[in-house]
Amino acid sequence: MLQTVSVNIVRVLFLVLLQALVVSRVQLFDGLIFPWVYIFAILMLPFETPKWFVMLVGFMVGLLMDYFSGPIGLHTSACIFLGFLQPIVQKILAPREGYDLTQRPTVQRMGLAWYVTYAGVLTLAHHSWFFVMEVFRFSDFLYQVLHILLSTFATLVLMTIGQYLIYNSKNASL
Amino acid sequence: MKNILALLRRFYLFLLFLALQGLALSLLFRNNRFHSAEMVRHSSDLVGSVYSRRSQLSEYLRLGEINDQLSLENALLRSAASENYWQLRTEKDSLRDTTTMQRYFYRTAKVVNASVNREKNYITIDRGMLGEVRADMGVIAGGNIVGVVRSASEHFAVVMPVIHSDFKASVRLKRSGAFGSLVWRGGNAQLADVIDIPKNIPVASGDTIVTSGYSTYFPANIHVGVVEWVDDTDNDYHLIKVRMGADFRRLDHVLVVSDIFKEEQDTLLNKVEQQDAANSKR
Repeated sequence: MLQTVSVNIVRVLFLVLLQALVVSRVQLFDGLIFPWVYIFAILMLPFETPKWFVMLVGFMVGLLMDYFSGPIGLHTSACIFLGFLQPIVQKILAPREGYDLTQRPTVQRMGLAWYVTYAGVLTLAHHSWFFVMEVFRFSDFLYQVLHILLSTFATLVLMTIGQYLIYNSKNASL
Repeated sequence: MKNILALLRRFYLFLLFLALQGLALSLLFRNNRFHSAEMVRHSSDLVGSVYSRRSQLSEYLRLGEINDQLSLENALLRSAASENYWQLRTEKDSLRDTTTMQRYFYRTAKVVNASVNREKNYITIDRGMLGEVRADMGVIAGGNIVGVVRSASEHFAVVMPVIHSDFKASVRLKRSGAFGSLVWRGGNAQLADVIDIPKNIPVASGDTIVTSGYSTYFPANIHVGVVEWVDDTDNDYHLIKVRMGADFRRLDHVLVVSDIFKEEQDTLLNKVEQQDAANSKR
């Protein structure tokens, strides 16, 4: 239990710093593609995490991210939304025999198709909420939609690669 | 009562969601105002020191390029120094020149963090109150305007660059002297707009835009950029796209301009405005 908590805290700190110091500095096509990979920390919470706590974690992770970039409240709002949807999406995607509650939603455990659906839906929801709250103008409607879709895709690719890099059988506890 | 409790139990997640969203959005909209606490947080010493570590590292990797920039600027300044000027007149009235008085003072600072591809971009620099950097001072780099200091903590300050949707500065066309406002409306981080210049004033691409010196942020005649193209389809004013001289993607050394007369000028204007307000009330 204690180990799970500390691993998650370290993961949050690592991902927020990775986002602020590395990923946010990568500028693809004038900011058209802007991945927010720090949400990986919320997506990776164990299945047994209470629903209200997922939302609270979203609140705290978002607030931490806001301290590094953007006006305060923007990431917070998007991550609360993500934390609200996460248990709902998990319920919809639940396998027939249910989840092994002590596990986390990884590719190794749940399979690539399941993972991409799960992370894809949630990332799209988070990014849409975030970009709409940040700036929305009907004048550039197509550009905004493209921005959201490409950024979602980039985040998803980065998170999936990250899964393969980190979660092999050797360090399954991380 | 039992029903209400059952209802609460059923919808507590959604209620919690609404409560947390309310909190987040109130933070967001309260902090979006000009001169807000948001800035203090951006320049907070903890986040600032994390960013300054990172910029130390990336600066090290770009030392060659930075050296080139600095030596170029040195050469320009050296050639402007008075000993390089040949005296046309041989006699001098006095040794001390009392006809001028220093008005603007420049301090160096280094950029520790900057964003360019958001709607509201900010630049964090490594000089704050201890380095005599205060809100409302202008920031320039390589002779081009960059932005205005919004807020300073002890060791850091946050600058609102031209590429921030709330930025506005008074500029003029160098050729005709006509005044306009410099704004930025998102998109390309090198292109800004100059608005409020009437159509009867000729503007062509390639014209130089400089600061007007009307505000106390910048001295007059600081280079802003060069006119890229002019759009005349709309109403009575030109829409002028300006390619800015400062490269916001690679800023490292900047100068913070402090106006020694600022307080005097602002107080005087305030006084007159207050008098007028009092008069009109009477």
